[in-house]
Amino acid sequence: MIAIIRLAIFGFVALSVVYWLVSVYSRSERREKLEKEFDAGGVEGSRDDYVSFGMDHYQHGLRRKLIVLVYIIPVVVVVVTVYLVNYQ
Amino acid sequence: MRKIKWAFWIIVILFVGAFLHYELPRHDIVRITNTYNRLTTIGTENGWAYASPDTGTAESATTRDIRFIEAVFPDNTVIVYRNEDTGWVWPPYFKYDSSNLQAMAGNLKSTEAAPKWVSVTKYGWRFPFLSIYPNAISIKEVAGPDVTIIPWVPIIVLIVLAFLIFMARRMWLQFWERMVDPAIAEAEEAQDRARGFFGRIGAWFATWRRKS
Repeated sequence: MIAIIRLAIFGFVALSVVYWLVSVYSRSERREKLEKEFDAGGVEGSRDDYVSFGMDHYQHGLRRKLIVLVYIIPVVVVVVTVYLVNYQ
Repeated sequence: MRKIKWAFWIIVILFVGAFLHYELPRHDIVRITNTYNRLTTIGTENGWAYASPDTGTAESATTRDIRFIEAVFPDNTVIVYRNEDTGWVWPPYFKYDSSNLQAMAGNLKSTEAAPKWVSVTKYGWRFPFLSIYPNAISIKEVAGPDVTIIPWVPIIVLIVLAFLIFMARRMWLQFWERMVDPAIAEAEEAQDRARGFFGRIGAWFATWRRKS
């Protein structure tokens, strides 16, 4: 029993690090994309406004929420493994 | 220098390959001949190949009762599996049904005259020199000794690992491009500005010196 709790705690900490890394990466990719879009021309207004508006959209978008899968997928994999190994 | 680099990468690849070969599940088509428990003493040289002491079937770090399964390959070479829980950390099989597996193995025992062929999923190596045994994960009866089993789990795990390495590399490159390179550029710019300032002082000193 202790082992499961330990796995849950360490797993949560490790996955939180991964979550943080992935969200930083994803935000960085989106910012770069917005900057390149603006630099390609044809957009009115200032560059900073365009980027911050786009980033605001990203903050409330689906893509950012999908990063939660970093937590969900490993838990599903563990549950499926437990089932296949012990109950088949 | 290039030779050292090559040697380094070859050693890394060998270690990673051996590690994956040990940890990933593989299938054996065998006929089970015997199942039993044996009090086994584990030393420091082979402790890494046994269940860690806090799992269900491992009562002690040094001496414990271990379930074994003896089997025969179609070509009459033999193999001995251990049957231990893996616990909840490593390797991540989360196996805790060793007793049931032992009962199944006992039920599938057969003789050479009336063979029952089974597919044993196992991980690990059999090294008689170190007294280590592969750990049996599951047992399934199969039609005959010639069935082919597609190793889906290793295929999927290797694809996922390759994807994770690819993503980690992309994240690293992105970090370098967006954070480190601009910081270096800024530092160089600042240095240039500083050189301009001290350059001006130097020039001023130079004019002063020339006067005197």
